[in-house]
Amino acid sequence: MLILEFLIKRIAQGILIVFITSLIIFTLLRVVPGDPVRLIVGGMAPPDVVEKVATKMGLRDPIIVQYGRYMRGLLQGDLGQSYLRPRSGMIATGGQYIDPTKSDMAPVIDQILERLPFTLQLGGMALLFAMLISFPIGIAGGLHQNGWQNALAFATQSLFVSIPNFWLAIVLILFLSVKLKLLPALGYQGFSYVLLPAIVLAVEIAPFIIRTLTTSLGEVMQSTFIDEARVRGLSRRRIVYSHALRNAAVPLVNLLGIQLSTLIGGVLVIEYIFDYPGLGNLTVVSVVGRDFPVIQGIAITTSAVFVFINIIVDLVAYLVDPRVEI
Amino acid sequence: MTVATIIETEPEREPVRIQSVNRRILLAAWRMPSFRIGLFILTALLLVSAIYPEISSVSATKMVVKDKFLPPLFLGEKWVWEHPLGTDQLGRDMLMRSLIGLRYSLLVGVVTVVLIFIIGCGLGLFAGFKGRWWDIIIMRITDAQLSIPMIILAITILGVSRPTVPTIIIVLALSGWPLYARVARSAAVAERGKEYVRGLRVLGAGDWRILLLFAAPNILPPIAFVAVLDVARMMILEAILGFLGLGIQPPTPSFGSIIADSRKYLINAWWIATIPGVFLAVALTSINLVGSALEKARNRIYGGL
Amino acid sequence: MINRRDLMLAGLAGATAYGFGRVNPDFLINSAFAAEGKTLRFLGAEALTGNWDPTTHTNLGQLIVEGFVFGYLTRAPMRPQKPDELVFELAESLQPIDTYTMEVKLRKGIKFHDGSPFTAADVKATYEYGCQPDRPAQWYPGLVTVDVIDDLTCRINTKAQGYPATLYYYLSSFLPIMSAKDIANKAQLSARMNGTGPYKYVEQKGDTTVLTANPDFFLGAPKIPGLEYRFVGDTTTRTLSLLNGEADIIERLEQEQVETIAKDARFNIHKAVSVENKYLFFRCSKKPFDDPRLRLAACHSIDRKQVLEVLGVSGTYSKAHISPVKFGYTEVAEYPEYDPAKAQKLLAEAGFPKGKGLPELTYYTSVGFYPKTKEYAELITGMLQEQGFKVNLQTLEVAAWGNLLYDKPGGGEGNMIDCGWCTGSPEPDLVLRTHFHSSSKRICGIVDKEIDAVLDKERNATTLEERKKVLQTETLPTIARKAPALALFTSVFIHAYSKKLDGLYIYPNGMQDMTKATLA
Repeated sequence: MLILEFLIKRIAQGILIVFITSLIIFTLLRVVPGDPVRLIVGGMAPPDVVEKVATKMGLRDPIIVQYGRYMRGLLQGDLGQSYLRPRSGMIATGGQYIDPTKSDMAPVIDQILERLPFTLQLGGMALLFAMLISFPIGIAGGLHQNGWQNALAFATQSLFVSIPNFWLAIVLILFLSVKLKLLPALGYQGFSYVLLPAIVLAVEIAPFIIRTLTTSLGEVMQSTFIDEARVRGLSRRRIVYSHALRNAAVPLVNLLGIQLSTLIGGVLVIEYIFDYPGLGNLTVVSVVGRDFPVIQGIAITTSAVFVFINIIVDLVAYLVDPRVEI
Repeated sequence: MTVATIIETEPEREPVRIQSVNRRILLAAWRMPSFRIGLFILTALLLVSAIYPEISSVSATKMVVKDKFLPPLFLGEKWVWEHPLGTDQLGRDMLMRSLIGLRYSLLVGVVTVVLIFIIGCGLGLFAGFKGRWWDIIIMRITDAQLSIPMIILAITILGVSRPTVPTIIIVLALSGWPLYARVARSAAVAERGKEYVRGLRVLGAGDWRILLLFAAPNILPPIAFVAVLDVARMMILEAILGFLGLGIQPPTPSFGSIIADSRKYLINAWWIATIPGVFLAVALTSINLVGSALEKARNRIYGGL
Repeated sequence: MINRRDLMLAGLAGATAYGFGRVNPDFLINSAFAAEGKTLRFLGAEALTGNWDPTTHTNLGQLIVEGFVFGYLTRAPMRPQKPDELVFELAESLQPIDTYTMEVKLRKGIKFHDGSPFTAADVKATYEYGCQPDRPAQWYPGLVTVDVIDDLTCRINTKAQGYPATLYYYLSSFLPIMSAKDIANKAQLSARMNGTGPYKYVEQKGDTTVLTANPDFFLGAPKIPGLEYRFVGDTTTRTLSLLNGEADIIERLEQEQVETIAKDARFNIHKAVSVENKYLFFRCSKKPFDDPRLRLAACHSIDRKQVLEVLGVSGTYSKAHISPVKFGYTEVAEYPEYDPAKAQKLLAEAGFPKGKGLPELTYYTSVGFYPKTKEYAELITGMLQEQGFKVNLQTLEVAAWGNLLYDKPGGGEGNMIDCGWCTGSPEPDLVLRTHFHSSSKRICGIVDKEIDAVLDKERNATTLEERKKVLQTETLPTIARKAPALALFTSVFIHAYSKKLDGLYIYPNGMQDMTKATLA
């Protein structure tokens, strides 16, 4: 029952947050200078065509009206259509105006759904790699608070957090892809293309996991119930894995929720550098191209995912440690 | 035996100095070697980036095309003393460009964090202290803003308007304040229940007075210590924006844009990409060392209370 | 640095040919690569427009793709030994009948990709549609009518306009022939490409244009079964893709990439001085560049030698508003060279001594398409700033730049914009008239009676010799004096391709090994 109550409350709040987010982004886009209609009609159209198209597309109505229209569409599952990409998916430039009010333009939702799996795959692999790197270091560091393991953990974490991700990406492309030809670098033509971006992303996430593990494990190991377990004669391995780790896991799970924002940011840059066809890449291209519907669609999707993951995170934290307040 | 000798007298002792919590944190941090190393490197970098460009005659922006792609000292065949770290694709000196880029990075980083601190903690304290409607509204806004990843916000605003240093700082600050607001708010809520606050209320002090004169000095310093780490975070974010073309515009050098331009020359002139990255990484590492030491010290002292 | 004279005189023994960037169709039929049956993957530097009607754009990437799909009445190989040569493709002959009429005899048995036969009606529809003044691609010297005599004969008629029909002699190699049926149904025309060329348009997948061999091509089906043109807007990505084996041929290489690829034994490099000139276009219809003195001051502030140094192998020196390869080129004496003293004098004359009082000027350039644009843009900005101009440089990615390139009423975006202009024919009007005549003024927006007069004069010249004289002594010098744009240099096209493409001759515009044919 408690869980159900929690879920209902959080989902309701979540919807409110997504709503506010969409309003913020929507207004921001309309208020900031730069007219997307010019981009839609192409470089060569005369200004009366621009005005005609703008009015036809409803871009000259007051913001509230536009927002209402957008929301109505949203409730029906329609995120609108891209301003820039026709259904074929290509980027168009120059040339004469194509009428975007025909449904020849790519639906935003299709674009997002097409790219979401790639980004999820990247995120998943990155998380996996990050855990592979940080768990051994973090646990060792946490268990030996004053030993060299802790110093190593501290050094690794400081180093990783100080390396700019885009720079690392470039350096790794140079060495691993061009000089040593171990891994492919750009685009996506098979699973191996996800590895290099995932490594760079993992280096970005790892420091936070290491830090949380070392501190929380260190704290937990000090607590009395661990001492008790030792008195009771449990093996060290059993103590660490069955008891300590579970307790230390809570801040880790919480960390995921907070770090999601960083993860999304990192994904954007990494996808851009590696020309990886995910949501991040789409975001950069759409913002630079002022493709409003796509930007809005992505913002809403991201905040929905964000809210969703936070709910899951809190739920899991509760399941792992029922003392957590939800 | 004289009676006098039985009476124990306290040996002369130094008067005990009651150190403030903050002082203790700083001292504890100072004792850690990592803190000292980080601080040393950071200060060195600060001094070099502030002073060297002023006294050197080499320019960071003057383009001498025939000098392009000179490698750093001792590497390759064409290095010169005048350009110890080589030159870039238009013949500009890499050392000078890196130092000026460092200046801007540090400037943006520090000013942004100060701004975040003031806005975030200000709103957070206010929400926590006042409670009820203020609390709810401000917290929901932070929730909403936290759910928009900073980078989307930044590239949306900067991608459609022209990026200048103040705009970049404001955008970065906008992305960072929610976290501080939350932390400040929960600290304020905790403070609110404390005895001395109730005592002050009884004495008739108004909310603002309590907040600013008494509660804030207790709440803010621990947050401030950790804010050092965020300087590093903001510097990276600024570099990322520069990399995407949304940061400080050329001809002013900034790490992000230098590294972005260098992608083309990775194979032939690797130093254009590597050197700014190294500068940035070293600066960030030193800031992180200082910041983590402060954080550890804080946790230790507070944990002990 | 290469001196233009050396370039011309050496006859380019060996590596260079003049050009335009289209792959020689002959290779497509004969090369060894074809034998493997693999699709040729070409990474292009410019994005396409999405509108397949050839009259709606001046987009170079799309012109390259059209070169595969459409047929032309003639093709101009533009070889150094015979720069004026015309090879006949869809036409068998072009005969001037009188000053204003030229008779075209067409080849028999050619079909469009949709199956309909190619006849004179298609030529008529194409030319009469394309010459309309509302067409964004202003290639035509003016309106023209085509009279159909029979299915395989027609006459180009320019009597009503008063300019010689012989202008179409070279122009015919540049105008893709569309089907009359498509022109009657514009939506169909824009929706897909339908031509008579060696490759058929299949579809557009994301940023890749997919073409497949046309089995009914009149020269025989190409041995390479398919072709993909993929837009990749980043130089490094194109290079890495080639090195990784993800592409077979790439374009628009820069010095450093040439060095890297040259070291790799798997690839060949092909260099060619092209018909393309890179220009710094001024927006002449709004302040402050509506004043020719300011434009000249800016031109005199720029040291083109340094710009060429930045370009390295990707550029070569030229001293007129057209490439050395075009008909009528000459080194114009009055061409504005680097002269800071003159720049200051002109600034003072225009009312802005040392640049004081000048508003901030926005300079747009693209990245990822033309070589080194960002680098020399920064250089030019620095040089202009030295003379007192306040310049704000904005580098844009290709699609965004393409969208604000063209002139609009009110002057268009920004004050200066960097652009290249490449038209695969020796015909100079494809550059001069398109840009500098007030009826067209695609980018710079200039309206100047003097320029109009000299352009009309050379167009109306009745013989080639007279035309050349007018071009060299009047038209080009006038344009140089008014400086609606500054031609920075002539591009050298550099392609790199896998050695597996043995026997490939990228004839930027020609068919070198067409010993058989002339398609006759």
